[in-house]
Amino acid sequence: MRLNSFKNKNLEELATLLAISPQNRPLKKFIEMGGLPSKKSEAYRYFNIESLLDGEYESLDYTPKVVNEGEEIVIENGVITTAPQGVRVYYEPCEQIDDDHFDPLYYLSHALYPRTIKIEVDGDRELKIVHRFTKSYAIINYRIVLFNQANRHSTIYESFEGELVQNSFIMYGYDMHIAPDSSFRVVKLQTLQNQNYSMLASHKINVEKNGSCIFKSFDLGGDHALQLIKVELDEYAHIDAQHLLYLNNDSKRGTVSQIIHKGQHSTSNQEAKNILDGASRGIFDALIKVEHSAKYTKAIQNSKAILLHDKAYMVSKPQLEIYIDELEASHGSTTGQLDPQQLFYLQSRGISAIEARKMLVIAFANTMIETIRDSRHQELIRNEFDKVFYSKED
Amino acid sequence: MITLDIQNLEAKIGEKQILKGLNLQLEEGKVHAIMGPNGAGKSTLSKAIVGHYDVSIVGGDILFKGKSIKDMEPEERAKEGIFLSFQNPVEVPGVNNAYFLRTALNAKRVHEGKEELNAAEFLRLMKSHLSELGMKPDMISRSLNEGFSGGEKKRNEILQMLILEPDVIILDEIDSGLDIDALRAVSEGINKMKDGKRSFLVITHYSRILDYIEPDYIHVLKDGQIVKTAGAELVAQLEEEGYDSIAIEQ
Repeated sequence: MRLNSFKNKNLEELATLLAISPQNRPLKKFIEMGGLPSKKSEAYRYFNIESLLDGEYESLDYTPKVVNEGEEIVIENGVITTAPQGVRVYYEPCEQIDDDHFDPLYYLSHALYPRTIKIEVDGDRELKIVHRFTKSYAIINYRIVLFNQANRHSTIYESFEGELVQNSFIMYGYDMHIAPDSSFRVVKLQTLQNQNYSMLASHKINVEKNGSCIFKSFDLGGDHALQLIKVELDEYAHIDAQHLLYLNNDSKRGTVSQIIHKGQHSTSNQEAKNILDGASRGIFDALIKVEHSAKYTKAIQNSKAILLHDKAYMVSKPQLEIYIDELEASHGSTTGQLDPQQLFYLQSRGISAIEARKMLVIAFANTMIETIRDSRHQELIRNEFDKVFYSKED
Repeated sequence: MITLDIQNLEAKIGEKQILKGLNLQLEEGKVHAIMGPNGAGKSTLSKAIVGHYDVSIVGGDILFKGKSIKDMEPEERAKEGIFLSFQNPVEVPGVNNAYFLRTALNAKRVHEGKEELNAAEFLRLMKSHLSELGMKPDMISRSLNEGFSGGEKKRNEILQMLILEPDVIILDEIDSGLDIDALRAVSEGINKMKDGKRSFLVITHYSRILDYIEPDYIHVLKDGQIVKTAGAELVAQLEEEGYDSIAIEQ
């Protein structure tokens, strides 16, 4: 399959090509939005989407398999293979597709994968979701719907395994429904090495009244990946979004997001920390929109970047779009380098230049890593940091 | 025996030459104090010894135990046994104080062919020094110097010195910003380090610190050169007549 072959096709032509109904809602939305994105598309302006769409990929068969019992949910090449006891994981058509997502590939992904993986998180619990990729030169596309229950508090640790694949292209994403008075915490850790796979993760998160979403992403290493997140906040709903990027080589990765305050007294806190080495490019293109209905909103948005190499580049675009007066809002962005005084201080105590550099890089990231409640997971993130730090190509 | 031998040192910061053929020898086990007016080159001298990136050495040499160190990286000089206590220690948010100091100590121990200390061994060593310096135990778990008061930062410098056990200790304006109690605690820490072998270079504007750390030699630094060397009695003359009196003697 070559996604670029969808270019300039009308609804009927594309429906015929994909062997799906022209009445398919996501497909219609995809066409309405202009079809495949290009470098001129708002969401992909700073990301080289065209080279990904131009690749020739093998299409996979997503026929469900027998689900084994295990400690974690494992989704291998878009198919559930393992799930823990007591967690409802099943396939079902997605009924609640967003009407107005900014990412056209959100709709294409839904159209190509009509049978979504539905995960119902019962009670207060911690879950691990492992995304495993084993097919090279393949397009792997799947969607996940996550539900929880009112008054419940859950955490999902999300990780990715794909070190053995080459040049695959992953499109996946969540449609997440956070129930009233509940909290949902998602901690994503993804280390990519060059030429394993590229990824587009297009999410929609609905936070209902008094609900709380904590979304923390730790994106490390190389290659090309973008997470495109749309969040809608109901009354008194809250999102705390933290994005840590630590990139090397010629990686291009980042976050494009829209947080939309719809309900009164909703609050959002979005923070990005970006550490860019080599000729990497970090992207933080984030909009917070406060609608007329969202009086007494509080919205904070901040991006900080450290460039470790003169070829590293940060695109930082925090934006506020506000339609009311009764709110508190702030946003900011800074880009700099490691402080030479701090580096020298550490060296003057006998710590080598490379270790001093590492200490400062970790220190910059630590304020985010330390917010992870599980100390084993903190350690895991630090270990991944070490791997990326010592693996970079000079 | 001479531990640090600075020979005809010329050094620049940017395009400006600050040290202009400076000669100084530190004797083993002795306390040398450098005094001088503002802009004389006192801090540049300390920076040149430890290899600060601001300073470029354009002439002369610095020998430590007979070996030239002027082309060594700062961390190599530190592991050889040279320690600078900074006038304004920089804050390093996110770097845990104990982790930093254990990394530094173990780097030095590896350099000396010794085994690294594990976390428990290091903690015992650190705690034994904390109470001597009147430091709160929580300071070791905080970020390095972050949010420390002026006195706490200086005590933290002395704590590092006690743990790293260097052979040459350079104290750059260690007394600045300290109240009497902090000055006494810091001075006691320094005096504890006197063992008849270790050399001290105390850089100061004022004589106050020299009431607590008795110097063996006073050197007056003016316009990038040592213009006079004498015993502790020189302090009184400088207090009374100022640095101009030294110029007249030259």
